[in-house]
Amino acid sequence: MSMDRKRFLKLIGVSAVAAGLPGCGPGAGGGTSGGSRLPRRMREPVQLPGAKMAVVKGAGPEAITRRAIEELGGIGMFVSKGDKVLVKPNIGWDRVPAQAATTNPEVLAAVVKLCFEAGAGQVLVLDNTISDSRRCYVRSGIKKAAEELGAQALYLEDYNFRSVNVGGELIREWPVYKDALEVDRIINVPIAKHHSLSRLSIGMKNFYGLMGGRRNQLHQDVHLSIAEMTAFFAPTLTVVDAVRILTANGPSGGSLADVKQCDTVIASVDPVAADARAAGLFGIDPAEIRYLVIGSQMGLGSLDPATVETREIQL
Amino acid sequence: MRTARRVSQVLFFLLFLFLLVMTEYKGTDEIAYPVKVFFDFDPLVAAAAFFAAHSLPAMMFWSLATVALTVLFGRFFCGWVCPMGTLNHVLSHNRLKAAENIRRNRYDGRQSWKYVAVVFLLAAGVLGLQIVGFLDPFSVLIRSFGLAVNPVFNYLLRATFYPLLALDWLWLTAILEPAFSFLRRYVLSFEQPYFYQGLFIGLLFAAIAVLNQLRRRFWCRFLCPLGALLGLLSRFSLLKLTVDEKTCTNCLSCRKNCEGACEPQSTESWIRSECLPCWNCVESCPHGSIRIGLARPRRSEQTVDVTRRQVLASVGSAVGALALLRIDPRKLSPSASIGAGRESKRFNPALIRPPGAVDEREFLERCVKCGECMKVCIKNAIHPTLAEAGLEGFWTPYLKMQLGYCEFNCTLCGQVCPTGAIQRLTLEQKHKTIIGLALFDKNRCIPYSLGRNCIVCEEVCPTPKKAIFFEEVEVTDHTGQRVTVKQPRIDPHLCVGCGMCEYVCPLVDKPGVYVTSIGESRSPSNQLLLDVYGGGQV
Repeated sequence: MSMDRKRFLKLIGVSAVAAGLPGCGPGAGGGTSGGSRLPRRMREPVQLPGAKMAVVKGAGPEAITRRAIEELGGIGMFVSKGDKVLVKPNIGWDRVPAQAATTNPEVLAAVVKLCFEAGAGQVLVLDNTISDSRRCYVRSGIKKAAEELGAQALYLEDYNFRSVNVGGELIREWPVYKDALEVDRIINVPIAKHHSLSRLSIGMKNFYGLMGGRRNQLHQDVHLSIAEMTAFFAPTLTVVDAVRILTANGPSGGSLADVKQCDTVIASVDPVAADARAAGLFGIDPAEIRYLVIGSQMGLGSLDPATVETREIQL
Repeated sequence: MRTARRVSQVLFFLLFLFLLVMTEYKGTDEIAYPVKVFFDFDPLVAAAAFFAAHSLPAMMFWSLATVALTVLFGRFFCGWVCPMGTLNHVLSHNRLKAAENIRRNRYDGRQSWKYVAVVFLLAAGVLGLQIVGFLDPFSVLIRSFGLAVNPVFNYLLRATFYPLLALDWLWLTAILEPAFSFLRRYVLSFEQPYFYQGLFIGLLFAAIAVLNQLRRRFWCRFLCPLGALLGLLSRFSLLKLTVDEKTCTNCLSCRKNCEGACEPQSTESWIRSECLPCWNCVESCPHGSIRIGLARPRRSEQTVDVTRRQVLASVGSAVGALALLRIDPRKLSPSASIGAGRESKRFNPALIRPPGAVDEREFLERCVKCGECMKVCIKNAIHPTLAEAGLEGFWTPYLKMQLGYCEFNCTLCGQVCPTGAIQRLTLEQKHKTIIGLALFDKNRCIPYSLGRNCIVCEEVCPTPKKAIFFEEVEVTDHTGQRVTVKQPRIDPHLCVGCGMCEYVCPLVDKPGVYVTSIGESRSPSNQLLLDVYGGGQV
């Protein structure tokens, strides 16, 4: 049987498609990426000589953000030259900044700018959104703010989730966004919001946005899952945007009547204390919030902000 | 002229592909390009919409330009502009022997089918039955490309890139990732699209493509009702083909290369209504005997080959089709102008129309089933119906909330609808437009049935004051302990039926909360609560 060029190419094409197709689809190749060395944030946790938390109140989101990080010893304590940094905002909803459902773009921009000032090699800004991600990235103003400064605000790609051992009692093996596993530093930049199941959605809950898979199941034990994710992602620094806070109908909001102007930024290396301090802005006792209690019991931080060395500053 | 025709065909086809890619959210609330422009120039859709719905979107007056140009220059639209024609043109390429092509390009009496089709469709339109979308070339093309070809294209590219990228080989990722990002940004859909019935629509389109192997441009010659309408309009066109009998050797090279089977080998045999003026005959004539020019038409010339009997038969079948398709349990009134009276109370719970859709009777009179709204839907929620809207409404759009949901701040579907079946809404109007109502299935919903917390639905509910609220109730869990859970409820005064709750419900096979069409603002009858609707617009 003779085989001309055309037939040969056809055969190759058909067999390539036949061989390739069954293995495709979302989540393909979801093997555990074992063996890789720990990212820097796990190997070298930050040790601060002075205050562990700074609460700055005043006009100008950028100014108060900068000041809060300065009070902790400056961005150089957290980011070194060449670091790959993930700055994680909350942009889960198709809302504009005034509606206080998404991180204030000026706060995020201040953090990104500081990272580059400290010599960061690469700054990533991303979130696994709930509403359509294009609308969230655009309408929150985060994509524009990040990209103008040279950070990458990329939409998540299905092929970039890796199923890994999260190490929790509840969350054992779960798909996690690849970049969150690899970066040297995670700086969490959440907005402080009401949430009807966990009561508040601030820093620790923000890590839902680095998870893939069936996230809607996590609600069934929302408090434990929040604490376990915080333990897993080990944020280097939490910068809570409380310029505007959402006091009701959270976490999606939408009504300006539920927004309260607080003009505050809280920066801390202690993820539990940062959320506990932000709870004060809502007039909520942190001890009433179960995920904070669980987090402190797990040794992730202090439930009582009074026990943490804090700089309170009014600009 | 043949080169000019080819350039024109390529440009219009590229325009079609570009507009198809742009029929998607690209970072602005308004679609930046006139993606439905081919419909604006389509006199068949304009005529059918005008007959059936007695009104015409302003943009469709452009189709009068097509009419005027056709009256002057014949079916140039088919040969030079129509992307469906171009596609069939390319797919008609064959390697048959010259004699076989000469034989197959003889005028075929069955080419009158398309005239029967157009008379049938327009007669149905006059009777108020809008079924032109099944055969209108742009409806077919956009529906097939949007719902079948584009998903296949996306799948194949993603299926090539994903496994290679998931290998995590740094050098490979470094090469492929920028390429894939580029494709995703400019060519691919944002997410892999899926359409209910996509396979079926794709197979029908493949059949149209394969038919070209039987006869060149099979669709254009035998089936296309728009081509037929333009053929009828070209009857008095100034286009004139003349063959110089002194130099002609009867080699039939002209007929061998003919696109329309219009018998170009002599002045007398030429059929102007079948001529696509492709200029193949002129350019392929070895003796330069053929000329296409402008002249006043004469009565004796060959024109449309359709008998009175065929016309009567197709009008008769339109009447029959009207009765067959309209006798429907929903008892829609025969005309939109007849009041509700004692109208039916039978509504299909699954028939959730896109926001801005007009009332069902008028919707069916307007919708041409082109699939633009389905292609543009940001969450891939709009799909073609099978039988949900009756046979008359086959392939009309409805939302399937388990596959997608209606994004609260999005108004794209109303922007791309060519016939006004889905009205263009402002954001403010959209927020008030109710497309259905969500209710809980307490036998399945987790806090009710299993005594554990969940309320993902409440978290995502997008109305500024959430339409889902909850009660804290003490129940017994599976270990016998008394626990307090939050049991969700719906406030029908706030719910707009967007379906986000149904979409995110952890009961992924059969959600514990689901939207049905009741309460939709477009319908005066499909209503539940007196205080919400009150029998009139709010």
